[in-house]
Amino acid sequence: MTDFDLERLGDMWRQEPDPAEMAALRRTAETVARRARRDQFTDSALAVIVSAIVLVLALTNPNPETLMVGGAAIALMLYSSIRQRHFRKLELKSLAGSTEEMIDQSIARIEATVKRTRLGLIGSVPAMIIGIGFGAVLDRGAGSGLLARFAAEPWLPIIVALAGIAIVSASFVHYARAIRRDRNELERLVALREAFKQESESSFS
Amino acid sequence: MATISDIAEGKQPPFERIVADHGALITRIAMSYEADPALREDLTQQILLAVWQALPSYRADASLKTFIARIAQNRSISFVAKQVRQPPTAEIPDKLEADDPNPEESAIDASERRALLEATRRLPVPQREVIVLVLEGFSYAEISDMLSIAPNALALRLSRAKAALKAMLEQRR
Repeated sequence: MTDFDLERLGDMWRQEPDPAEMAALRRTAETVARRARRDQFTDSALAVIVSAIVLVLALTNPNPETLMVGGAAIALMLYSSIRQRHFRKLELKSLAGSTEEMIDQSIARIEATVKRTRLGLIGSVPAMIIGIGFGAVLDRGAGSGLLARFAAEPWLPIIVALAGIAIVSASFVHYARAIRRDRNELERLVALREAFKQESESSFS
Repeated sequence: MATISDIAEGKQPPFERIVADHGALITRIAMSYEADPALREDLTQQILLAVWQALPSYRADASLKTFIARIAQNRSISFVAKQVRQPPTAEIPDKLEADDPNPEESAIDASERRALLEATRRLPVPQREVIVLVLEGFSYAEISDMLSIAPNALALRLSRAKAALKAMLEQRR
């Protein structure tokens, strides 16, 4: 095939698409832009609402607990917003860079996600047991008699145990699926990286 | 089309105008990576969203077309990596022939375009990204810069891609 042939193929390739298809693309773009603007607005509105609620609560009920909970809510919101922006910035930077850089960053991101999910999977049962234990200690300390109610109603522990088993099973299924999906994506990305590596190596051999 | 001086002065072209100017490029890149129409619609949305989000970070050190092509290619490759691959199917929206003065010639043209697209989709990703950029009319220097590869490595990769494309197109005849 000569370069002339490729030029001809290029002319054919770049033919203007069907106007109906371009109209559909414009509609898709409008939807995407509208959704993105709405998400930006929702984020800002949410921040304003949370801050306003905290301010009102702090003014109407000025005690250390209110300030602590309100401060924690704002800190959590800020942390999640900064983290989200940071990840989006990294992702956009990798999208505007070279393909191999993008693949490497995607691999690193998914490996970290798999590690986090695996930790979540391993930690979910002990976390639940610790949570129940902590709740029981608090309950006993507060003297609210939840444990006594458990002893009085024989069906209550069974329902709670069944609910716990259902939650733990659902979490296991969720985590296992997430790990399998991420591993599959990781395999495909590693294969892609290998393909690029082989292509580069054969260029220099 | 947005000029470099517009962008250098901080005047970002509106998103709608970018879509009008470069929408066809985005559509063709999405088509060269995804054959399934429903998945391609999803991919196109993801590319448009990435372009929308990345626009504020665009600096006029490269053309806007290059910037958009880079995002579209990388988003398509990561999209492909996420999908459990199905064998590529023959699907391409061709121009409608009803208002064409020469329907026979148009049908041959559409068939050739379809063959080219199918062959491009079958290329390994490293070769596909090069051939798509060449077909889109980017210069070798621009492609070399976009992919961060040396010109001689690009020439070799392109030569392999051309050979593979030629073999696939000839096989169809």
